[in-house]
Amino acid sequence: MTIPADLKYTKEHEWVRIEDDTATVSITDHAQEALGDIVFVELPEIGRAVAPGEAFAVVESVKAVSDVYAPVGGEIVEVNAELEGAPEKVNTDPYGAGWIAKIRMSGDTVELLSDDEYSTFLEE
Amino acid sequence: MTDLARTPLHAEHLTLGGRMVPFAGYEMPVQYPDGTLAEYHAVRDGGAGLFDISHMGQVRVEGPGALDFLQYATTNDVARLDQGQVQYSALLNENGGFIDDITTYRLEENEFYLCVNAANRARDVAHLERLAEHFDVNITDESDHTTLLALQGAAAQEMLAPLVDGELDAIGYYRFAGMRVCDAPGLVSRTGYTGEDGFEIYLPNAAAVTVWRAILERGARPVGLAARDMLRTEMGYALYGHEISEDVTPVEARLMWITKLDKGDFLGREAVARRASEGPRQVLIGLRLTERGIPREGYAVFAGETPTGVVTSGMHSPTAGGVALAYVKPEHADAGELSVEIRNRRIPAERVKPPFVPSRVRK
Repeated sequence: MTIPADLKYTKEHEWVRIEDDTATVSITDHAQEALGDIVFVELPEIGRAVAPGEAFAVVESVKAVSDVYAPVGGEIVEVNAELEGAPEKVNTDPYGAGWIAKIRMSGDTVELLSDDEYSTFLEE
Repeated sequence: MTDLARTPLHAEHLTLGGRMVPFAGYEMPVQYPDGTLAEYHAVRDGGAGLFDISHMGQVRVEGPGALDFLQYATTNDVARLDQGQVQYSALLNENGGFIDDITTYRLEENEFYLCVNAANRARDVAHLERLAEHFDVNITDESDHTTLLALQGAAAQEMLAPLVDGELDAIGYYRFAGMRVCDAPGLVSRTGYTGEDGFEIYLPNAAAVTVWRAILERGARPVGLAARDMLRTEMGYALYGHEISEDVTPVEARLMWITKLDKGDFLGREAVARRASEGPRQVLIGLRLTERGIPREGYAVFAGETPTGVVTSGMHSPTAGGVALAYVKPEHADAGELSVEIRNRRIPAERVKPPFVPSRVRK
């Protein structure tokens, strides 16, 4: 299980990559592993405003339905439409091709963890 | 999971990396490390999957009154069951509700074997023992001594053949034969819960690990509960606690084909006959979503703007997409625009007669 050092994490098992005012978001390797084979991703609409901690996408595995919560507040500016045809990319490449959406940040974030903090959180 | 029972293959599942979950009072593998879809495809795409289903119960019924007893206790016509044949059937209560769905094996003229659901086993045995007071019959719960494996998929026969001393090809669909499996005394039936060709193999517990390993060495992939549920849902097979329960009768569940009202009296017959003539309050149908989405158990079904029922089992089928079994009001079963509500959105669905993917059982 990998936890890249250049990302931030949430206690709900999202990762976020913040570049300038844009946050790229998806779920962590730990989350995809726990969910199992992902067969459906419901993407948010572009332009939608999201509050920090708001459920903005849904990931469904064979057996489970799981909300994805926005680590940061802002506006959805881009979604990974490839996941509609290939949701398994969240399993195979959770930190790369498995990204879900990009949020133009404005306002607050939820509590964000460093890689070390997230690793410790998982062990607890 | 300390209070849960374990099958004789528990240590094998752990060694293989099985993710263990509580199921019907047992600790069972829901999937192995390569994941549910890989297991599903092993069964559907020309290979074979091996399932530990030892949690299921086995009840021997024997004695001069065995046939009369089972004619009264079960819904199907046991008089039409030959030795060496298996029959899908059910136990009903006096209101016609399902106590369980079962398979009945006729071993000898007066000796039968019932395979029952794990979650219902204790209740089934108590129910059968109570009914047996009026018949010359002995009931023995053999579940704890019996290992049950299912080997399912197009390659099942080829994989199993070198391990048995019997002629598998001579066993027709819903037939069985006693034979040695890895030199242990076994019973092999051409039955299953996947819609593929394959076998269910009854063994003494002492042979469980040897046979399990030998079949895996022949190339079968171990399959957990999640893929088993996908495979059976694609076939439209009922699962107790989902499509059937004490609250529905064979009329609602569309299981009148295993309920022989004309065979003579049986427990629940009167109630089922009444329901059949009055008409069901709800009926089980198959649905396929015509837009993206996964219908799940408990989701509401609508006919136009009218709530009409609920999904009992739903899934994302790799080939058929979002499919579901659902109970709806009879007036909406054959016509009208149906939809499934998923996260406050109604996704249109078309009525499909299951199976949702073609069955390849050997008939």
